[in-house]
Amino acid sequence: MAHKVKDESPKIKMKKSVGSHIFDTCNVIFMVLFCITIIIPFWDVVVRSFSRAQDISYMHINFLPKVWTLDAYKYCFQDNEIISAFFVSILRTVLGTVIHVIVCCMAAYALTRTDMPFRKVITAILLIPMFFSAGMIPAYLNMKRLGLLNNFLVYILPSGFSIYDTIIIRNYFFSIDKGMEEAASIDGASQVRIFASIIMPLSQPVIATVSLWQMVAHWNSWFDNMIYCRRSAELTTLQYLLRRMLDSLTASTTTSSSGVEAIGTLVDTNPDTIKAATTILVVLPIVMIYPFLQKYFVKGIMVGAVKG
Amino acid sequence: MNRVNALGKQNVKKELKKYLPFYMFLLPAIILVILFCYMPMDGLAIAFKDYKMARGIGGSDWVGLKHFKALFSDPNFYRVLGNTLKISILTLVTTFPVTIIFTLLMNEVGNQKFKGVVQTITYMPHFLSWVVVGTFVYQLLSPTGGVVNAILVKLGVLEKPLYFMAQKEMFVPIYLITNLWKTTGYSIVIYLATIAGIDTALYEAASIDGANRFQRILYITLPAMFPTMCTMLILSIGSLVSVGFDPVFNLYNDATYQTADVISTYVYRKGMVESRYDFSTAIGLFQNVVSLALVLIANWFARKANPEYKII
Repeated sequence: MAHKVKDESPKIKMKKSVGSHIFDTCNVIFMVLFCITIIIPFWDVVVRSFSRAQDISYMHINFLPKVWTLDAYKYCFQDNEIISAFFVSILRTVLGTVIHVIVCCMAAYALTRTDMPFRKVITAILLIPMFFSAGMIPAYLNMKRLGLLNNFLVYILPSGFSIYDTIIIRNYFFSIDKGMEEAASIDGASQVRIFASIIMPLSQPVIATVSLWQMVAHWNSWFDNMIYCRRSAELTTLQYLLRRMLDSLTASTTTSSSGVEAIGTLVDTNPDTIKAATTILVVLPIVMIYPFLQKYFVKGIMVGAVKG
Repeated sequence: MNRVNALGKQNVKKELKKYLPFYMFLLPAIILVILFCYMPMDGLAIAFKDYKMARGIGGSDWVGLKHFKALFSDPNFYRVLGNTLKISILTLVTTFPVTIIFTLLMNEVGNQKFKGVVQTITYMPHFLSWVVVGTFVYQLLSPTGGVVNAILVKLGVLEKPLYFMAQKEMFVPIYLITNLWKTTGYSIVIYLATIAGIDTALYEAASIDGANRFQRILYITLPAMFPTMCTMLILSIGSLVSVGFDPVFNLYNDATYQTADVISTYVYRKGMVESRYDFSTAIGLFQNVVSLALVLIANWFARKANPEYKII
């Protein structure tokens, strides 16, 4: 865990040849172009979300909205479906992440006991699903049997445990000084107590990493919504709402323009601008936690790559 | 386990009691795994049954290999299998060289601040869902307001806007470009982390020996990336028959099924849309078994080549 990831290239001071200088310049230009390629879709969606519907056409290339307007956002914030979906997404992200972290940390702590009887059997039980799963339909039938269709729990329970995260957390636990644990044990602290007041507080970096992974995964997931909670309007997540907008777009363009009427009452704002504003709502939380993601994500990758 | 056998029965009891809190710690994880990973396994039986919803998994009649026979005589299946292999191989062929070249170039950027900014920007797409990426692509290529059409029409390349997403021959290129857009930045970070581990003394020694910049890249940086490259290669061989559901599902539509449909999307449509649960389970089972076999084979080869490259 102590691997510090710094991607500093070796600093060698040498006389640079002319060729080397030309290469450096081209390289910088290339990197700038690379960044522009990544930015264009983001830029485009931002511009659209602040544009008037009538200004969006293939006839114009808009680097900035012709006329700035908040119409699309106003529509979004008045639309009960979008607001509800936003809260469902927040709720599943928060609850799902909390459950995931608790379950994985507990399992990881138990797996640090290398001399625990049946440890290998238990590890195998937890590990096998990583390589073989029953598939989409058996999983669906199972959810149906468990009564989890159109049930909020289907969002947070199946993703509650991950062997991959558990192994990463366990590796971190191994690095914690055994002395403290022993001292607490001699003082009569129970295992639950040791886990909750010594191990967990000392493991903040790995917990942060795993939490962020899980938060992103929850915020981005939509497939479980589509197959398990398709008919439940109050359980629609923001991602699935956006997905459905994509569906309506596909339908409207293949069966000639009938999609514009879908919004009906709003003459000024066509689905394009609303879709753009919704996309911003979907992307914004990710952008907001991005600094943290950057800090912990890469670290996590390396732990996984080294020990995985 | 040997330890347990070696101890007497009394001791086993004592051991188990001592470890009781730890078994309790494992309990939630075990319950979740049983509920959501092992319990669905009985549903695999319907791949060999004539599934009737009213009669349930256990009550439906066995039909042997009927669904597999149907599968292997279904021309759609070969189309889907072909698409899957084609897309995964082309993905491998494009992402691999692009990632390595981009990493090497990124590594040559001297200004650390600039390098940091470039990395920050380029691995952002990794955190977006495929739904969002799909929305981006549809929007950029849209015939009614998409930037790409606008530019092509302005330049006179196209006479009138083209609905790219509905052109079946355009699907694979669009998929590959989108995939590169989303994943390159992230892969670069992984490779750069490997490069960061190279001993700088190597570079110094090489330059004293008169190696130029290009030679240092070729003989020091590139070989250092090799183990990571192998791991990535093994992983992608393992997933040769399982092109992800997400990217395809969010980029295809009825107009592009011909070229875009892969096994996982076919399983979804046959099962969830057409409600042919048994047939769909059979396809899924075929895919999972082949995937597992590929992972094991790739892993075996990797271990043969170098024990460090193994995944399992």
